[in-house]
Amino acid sequence: MSVIDKNINLQPETVTKKDVGFAWLRFYFANEIPHCFDKYIAPALLWALMPILKKLYKNKQDLIEAYQRHMLFFNTQLSWGGGTITGIVASLESARAKEVYEKKPITIDDDLIYNSKAGLMGALAGIGDSIDSGTVQYIFIAIALPWAQQGSPLGSLIPFICFATYQLVIGYYFAQLGFRLGRSAASEVVGDKMQMVIEVLSILGLFMMGILAGNYVKVSSSLEFNLSGKEFVVQSILDGIMPGILPLVTVGCIYGFFAKKGLNVTKALFGLTVILGVLAAIGIL
Amino acid sequence: MENITVIQALIIAFWVAGIMGRFLLGGATLTMRFSPMMSGLVCGLVFGRVEEAMLITAAIQLIFMGVFAPGGQMPSEPCVATSIAVPVALLGNLTPEAAIGVAVPVGLLGSYLYQLRFFLNTIVMQKMADKYAAQGNERMLSFSIIGMPIIISCLIFVPFMFIALYYGAPIIAEVVSSASGTIVFHILEVIGGGLAAIGIAVTVYVIGKKNYIVFFLLAYFMAIILKSLNVTMITYAIIGTIIAIIYVMAKSETLSKVQDAGFSANADEDDDDY
Repeated sequence: MSVIDKNINLQPETVTKKDVGFAWLRFYFANEIPHCFDKYIAPALLWALMPILKKLYKNKQDLIEAYQRHMLFFNTQLSWGGGTITGIVASLESARAKEVYEKKPITIDDDLIYNSKAGLMGALAGIGDSIDSGTVQYIFIAIALPWAQQGSPLGSLIPFICFATYQLVIGYYFAQLGFRLGRSAASEVVGDKMQMVIEVLSILGLFMMGILAGNYVKVSSSLEFNLSGKEFVVQSILDGIMPGILPLVTVGCIYGFFAKKGLNVTKALFGLTVILGVLAAIGIL
Repeated sequence: MENITVIQALIIAFWVAGIMGRFLLGGATLTMRFSPMMSGLVCGLVFGRVEEAMLITAAIQLIFMGVFAPGGQMPSEPCVATSIAVPVALLGNLTPEAAIGVAVPVGLLGSYLYQLRFFLNTIVMQKMADKYAAQGNERMLSFSIIGMPIIISCLIFVPFMFIALYYGAPIIAEVVSSASGTIVFHILEVIGGGLAAIGIAVTVYVIGKKNYIVFFLLAYFMAIILKSLNVTMITYAIIGTIIAIIYVMAKSETLSKVQDAGFSANADEDDDDY
């Protein structure tokens, strides 16, 4: 094994923007396909990074170690977490491969790479879940819902296409950001500008939920009774006081339940079903 | 009563396997799993009754608002629920509210199937993926990460959905439609109308900005007052965006004014350079 031979064969190739974009696409595809109990979506990130790792580690033993490094527990959200971390890991692995090749002491060791992933995955998933799945997705759905109620397939297609494209695009942006800035990318993702965007989205999300609640939550009283010859229709009395009071009270009670007892959707679902069912059966609603 | 053909049941079964196995367009399955909209449309296309299917799906969407999986766990599976409830409703000519009565229990059942997939994936990752990673066998590693989970989810969801649709759906449809006109129907209708409150409350809770709930209330009363004007959702979305931007701009301006006035003398992050 000569020095020249080694230079030709073992030198890591440069990882380009294109490689990172391709890794992001692979992560977007693999995402939760290999979802499992002990590793969660670690295998998906590994599969996404495989072409990059192959470019970086020309020595088979180094490559195997890289594969195994990414088999440990990892779980995050698709675009904010997955995008950013795909980029950051690509940049860390590039730096490590260089150290390995130049036979320098390894500063970017297994622990550092794992801790970078583990330190970010929770925080970014928290933002990503509430912004993407919790807010943006439902803004699109809220906009398209009336079309569905008119029987148009656009009610399904528009939110699907918009949301899938949105995640693909921002994930790509975050992956490139992560690759360019390395570990400091995380502070950019949760930086001031992003906070403003998040705030606008949060307000818009709450606003759209208010519109939906006003239009589509239907709780009304069917109770009528006779008091000394005079007919009382409870719903029209309620409408006289404040229109839409019953739906608002219903939403408010469930929100209060979550605020007190934590987000237990199944319990709320059963509870409300029973309460509404009983009230309907005895003729109050 | 109409019947469901083998082909129709199979198409819907494979559709559900593709979504629940998360491989039909990969990450794009996220919203198809959390929201009933696309599954409802596919059922409508399969039965050639898109318009009715969309009406039913819209009602189901309202109760599944706010359903998503923080950390990967879901209380219910809207995709599975819709893919059974919409065919049942189409076969039995049920109202959207009655379809909700079918969707809720099926959705809960669906989350157990996802758990089963989780469990089988765990075995594959431990027995196969780890082994091939240690050998550096790239092709087999790819197969165990992508190929095997796809096969597993087809083996779980296709038979289950096929049997539920081909043998179950006509029976459920008959039972539910025989109850029409009774008090049971009134109860189903009330529950269906009220359950939308859950999804909305979940979403408000998840967005998690307590101080901003005033924006929810503002919108709620706007919607009540303007109901007769039939304002479109896009118009509302534009108004909501404008209000949000005004608020955020005003807030950041006040903040910078306060800082200019010298209150930022206390060292905060921005002053690290000094």
